[in-house]
Amino acid sequence: MPRCCFILSAAAVIFCAGLNAADDAGKVRFFEERVRPVLAANCLKCHNDQAKMSGLSLASREAAMLGGSRGSAVIPGQADASLLIRAIRRTGEIKMPPAGPLAANDVAALSDWIGQGAAWGSAPPRERVTAAHWSFQPVRRPSPPRLRDPSKARNAIDFFIQAKLEEKGIAPSPEADRRTLLRRLSLDLTGLPPTLEEIRAFLDDRRSDAYERAVERLLASPHYGERWGRHWLDIARYADSNGYSIDGDRSIWRYRDWVIDALNRDMPFDRFVIEQVAGDLLPNPTQEQLIATGFHRNTMINQEGGIDYEQYRVEAVVDRVNTTGAAFLGLTIGCARCHDHKFDPISQREFYRLFAFFNNIDELGGNIPDGEGPAFRMQPLLEFGKPEDFVRREALDQQIEALEAELLQYQKTIEKDWESRFELSGDTVEERIPEILATLIEERATIDRGLLSRFFSEKDAAWKARQDGIRALRGALPKLESTLIMRELPAPRESYIHVRGDFTRKGDAVEAGTLAVLPPMKKTDNPNRLDLARWLVSAENPMTPRVTMNRLWQRYFGVGIVETENDFGSQGTAPSHPELLDRLASEFVRHDWSLKAMHRLIVTSATYRQSSAARPDAAKADPVNRLLARQNRLRLEAEIIRDAGLTVSGLLSPAVGGPSVFPPQPAGAGQFTQVDRKWKADEGANRYRRGMYIFFRRSAAYPGLVLFDAPDAQASTTRRNRSNTPLQALTLLNDETQTAFAENLAKSILAAAKDRGERIRFAFETCLARPPNEDEQQRMSQYLARMTDAFATDSEDDGAGSPQEAAWLAASRVMLNLDEFVTRQ
Amino acid sequence: MNLQKKLFQRTTRRQLFENCGIGVGKTALTSLFVGDRLFASTPAAGYHHAPKAKSVIYLFMAGAPSQFELWERKPELQKLSGETLPPSLLEGKRFAFMDSFVKSPPKLLGTRRAFKQHGESGQWVSECLPHTAQTVDDLAFVRSVHTENFNHAPAKIMMNTGSPIFGRPSMGAWVSYGIGSESKDLPGFVVLQSGPRGPRGGAMNWAGGFLPTSHQGIPFLSGGAPILNMSNPQGFDEKRQAATIDAILDLNRMNLEKYGDPEIETRIAAYEMAHRMQTSGPELIDFSTESQATLDMYGAKPGEKSFANNCLLARRLVERGVRFVQLYHSSWDHHGGPGENLDENLDEVCLSADRGCAALIRDLKQRGLLDETLVVWGGEFGRTPMGEQRDTLGRNHHIDAFTMWFAGGGTKPGQSIGETDEIGFSPVKDPVHVHDIQATILHLLGIDHTKLTFKFRGRDFRLTDVGGNVIQKLLA
Repeated sequence: MPRCCFILSAAAVIFCAGLNAADDAGKVRFFEERVRPVLAANCLKCHNDQAKMSGLSLASREAAMLGGSRGSAVIPGQADASLLIRAIRRTGEIKMPPAGPLAANDVAALSDWIGQGAAWGSAPPRERVTAAHWSFQPVRRPSPPRLRDPSKARNAIDFFIQAKLEEKGIAPSPEADRRTLLRRLSLDLTGLPPTLEEIRAFLDDRRSDAYERAVERLLASPHYGERWGRHWLDIARYADSNGYSIDGDRSIWRYRDWVIDALNRDMPFDRFVIEQVAGDLLPNPTQEQLIATGFHRNTMINQEGGIDYEQYRVEAVVDRVNTTGAAFLGLTIGCARCHDHKFDPISQREFYRLFAFFNNIDELGGNIPDGEGPAFRMQPLLEFGKPEDFVRREALDQQIEALEAELLQYQKTIEKDWESRFELSGDTVEERIPEILATLIEERATIDRGLLSRFFSEKDAAWKARQDGIRALRGALPKLESTLIMRELPAPRESYIHVRGDFTRKGDAVEAGTLAVLPPMKKTDNPNRLDLARWLVSAENPMTPRVTMNRLWQRYFGVGIVETENDFGSQGTAPSHPELLDRLASEFVRHDWSLKAMHRLIVTSATYRQSSAARPDAAKADPVNRLLARQNRLRLEAEIIRDAGLTVSGLLSPAVGGPSVFPPQPAGAGQFTQVDRKWKADEGANRYRRGMYIFFRRSAAYPGLVLFDAPDAQASTTRRNRSNTPLQALTLLNDETQTAFAENLAKSILAAAKDRGERIRFAFETCLARPPNEDEQQRMSQYLARMTDAFATDSEDDGAGSPQEAAWLAASRVMLNLDEFVTRQ
Repeated sequence: MNLQKKLFQRTTRRQLFENCGIGVGKTALTSLFVGDRLFASTPAAGYHHAPKAKSVIYLFMAGAPSQFELWERKPELQKLSGETLPPSLLEGKRFAFMDSFVKSPPKLLGTRRAFKQHGESGQWVSECLPHTAQTVDDLAFVRSVHTENFNHAPAKIMMNTGSPIFGRPSMGAWVSYGIGSESKDLPGFVVLQSGPRGPRGGAMNWAGGFLPTSHQGIPFLSGGAPILNMSNPQGFDEKRQAATIDAILDLNRMNLEKYGDPEIETRIAAYEMAHRMQTSGPELIDFSTESQATLDMYGAKPGEKSFANNCLLARRLVERGVRFVQLYHSSWDHHGGPGENLDENLDEVCLSADRGCAALIRDLKQRGLLDETLVVWGGEFGRTPMGEQRDTLGRNHHIDAFTMWFAGGGTKPGQSIGETDEIGFSPVKDPVHVHDIQATILHLLGIDHTKLTFKFRGRDFRLTDVGGNVIQKLLA
């Protein structure tokens, strides 16, 4: 019976669609035959998508309706009210086309066409997902399905995974061996490979819960917060510079440390979200809660000369909307910036309602003259200093203000008789002076003010002395450490729809609000960012827990349950295991949004613990392993490749947090930016800090990071590429840093054992957490013998040490270059 | 010897693998080979039609050269020099350093440079570029290019990626993604730089954006090895390096047998290519095989960081099958401030650029390479017909009309496309948008710009966004 109903209703849908098409067909034919040729011959030359005279394009129905600088050109169903018709009838101010009136029958055709609804083209009416789309439904809590053979399942996850495998007649893979498991677990939870001691301890632990104990140990490690913090920083588009062309330094590492700390403390994810999105709006926010709001200050700041600051402020606000969409909602909200979303139920109006939440930050924007100091541009900031520093600054600021007023007064006096006062040389600069002086002091252009200032400081010692005094005081201002935060303006900015995404084209005013397709936010009079933050993690919102759990899954298996992790809309892929996704999402909320609880659940599942060896038997039915009949081998992330090298070479400085560091980078790496910023390599322990602490300059990022797909921090990144390129090979083979790792690794190998075989074994265990097999042992031994011979021919005074030492350095290079070394198996 | 036998068997497998090869210009394969299986399901487009050009050399004149001092002869502007610009022309327009324009209405500025007609085609070129002037019969000028952003970095990003928003893939990356490269031992998209500073926007100008990382532009360094980490560590000569790579690959093959992961095969191929790059790199930058006459023609001096050297290197790169070479030369930003005047500062940059450009055209032509190499010359926007008063008179940024030129690669030489009004403020004939330029470059390479797309964040992206028309008049 239910099946029968389904067929019936499907037939009905097809029938209706057919009817509509038939009805529309006539209108479309009319458009194609009578309207399009008229538009093409008379209008499109100027009003196309490129030329857009007066902002108007008539190249599509949407464009015509959107209109130009004078408003909508076409109002379907209302010919007389449509600007296009008034223009071609030449009754009003606008008379089109300029070459002369259209033929009367053409005018009539266009008028009839609009009157009948302005049908356009032969393109089918686009399909818009309705609220019925899977991801907009409330999160359910499905029970694990039954398995024919439950013996290989360890927890609920396995029931969902193995049920699908059973359907296809595929058996899950056996558990990976203990060494592989420990290396996998250590890399996944902390981003560091296990040490020899950790491996031995794990192998020696014969208790039945040895694995679970290892999980607990790693979850409690401070490096857990670093590992998972870095994942979050991808989403937060964290970087240590301002971006765009100047790309100056910024200080926001305290936000990075806040993330690490919050994860280490297992801060409930709902609070984690609220504090980052709106910590500043919480009642009596703590310093930590303010630092957390750096999340949405990771937007770029343009410091280029001559720009319109408002344009880049708007870009930052747009980025906040897009990031909120990607990070929490898994929706491509950014598509609705210029027009309604083509596929998902997100209107352009809704985009700007979300925009309104982020539009009131007290940051650089509007019509601000050039030449203000860079410090001003970084506001709002949270500053750190001793109380006396703040007092001193206040006092100095007052002095500076007074001196500036005095200088202004003085300048007004000397401007009056400047021609008689100064000896003039008659150069081109001086020709400009009278013109500048004719303008009121307050209204002079920045460039003119600069010119004048140079003129006066050359000609008038008293003027120069005053200005030098002000400069000296400015130089004496205490330099306070700071971090970028969010702060609301006392009175909100007006938010309006940007016609075609262009902020200079004001559309309707909008008020802050959320997406209609999702459960509504709690009713308040003037919803603010805090209301938005609470809505993102409200019990009714199905997106945030699903999106978060999907991303967690993706980090462990390489691909999410929903492969398009940033698009849960209609253009995204359907979940491979929808019930599992809901189960995880509901479990997450039930565990009070504890991420550690969810990590525990996933890594203790049999699914996670499977071997990652290929399964030719399953490949036919499931070529890309979506059903997870095995684990996936994953190349380590950029930072983790470095961290692994640091760990096995014994060089790692395990310090957590603090200002970003500058390890040596290859010469010439900074050659390609506008401002060739010198990279002064740190000395001491900071050379050996984890990859996530390397100062990240957006326009010239550390080469070793970029080549291994670290995100560029231009926008939120929810999934990294995992490329495999010759330049990566060159880096691992030849980079100075790698050679330093190899040198140190060689030293510890030589110190650890006397015999070549034992040394090889030590090298393999240290780097790969496993001993070599016979073939590997033999191949490495052969290589060592060859290299020892080769180095024996070198002269001794080249500082490379004995031939044997040099050969071990070479062998260490081999270890650090193995595919297995840079892969989590 | 058991081991040797096993390794031999593995080698056979490897060879089989190699034959379906990295770097043979088959992009669908290349995109598989970059190892990102997430993208393997989206094979790149390949050719949409027969290509006219095999490679592109894009001479990016960073900072925006003034068309009025170089290419655009405007007698009417000379006559009106010093007059205030009719305010109606400024209505609704936005400019860089707006506040100086708003506060003191700008005056028109005629050039102080003399113009002459050159070649059979009779193109006007100023005295600033005497060498290029001799090649005008090989060039096609587009005098009506317009763009959308009046600040350097966003405009450069627009010219390179089709969008002023940072982070989109650049043209060279799109081309590499679309049709791959013919070079087996060099990157498909190479970036060279000369002049006092790197381009604004840095790596975003040659970014791979959301395309697989292997398509991003690779900046070559000046002096020493052209690519980062191309030289072996100290103590490792070629033989030792080769032995080391052999050991790495053999051990990788053993693991491949255990895990059967195609990523391991890709890594083996990547190491083999890296090794080839290392051996071919020194040869690439070794100019000793060039005749003295060639060096003189370019004004190239081995070992120097110069535009001339980069032009010669660009020819050597396309000879070796590199698909897209982009040269940045700075700085053309002549506002009139210190170091940026339209007199000796313009002279300097012209002097450093002119000879290399002309030599490149001649050299490509005499080697029969010009037909298959598209050369593009231009900045991120143009400069205003109005003067800008700083220390001296300069010109501000102008996005409504500026000049670019093209040569070879299936373009029709000795012509001018597009015209501007009498003062050069706006196009009056055949306006050409940045997206049109991009569509045309792709077209000449055998790519339909509307079909080369990549799905990202829920929609198909392309270089030309939703615009772009091939400039038909430019085609031979």
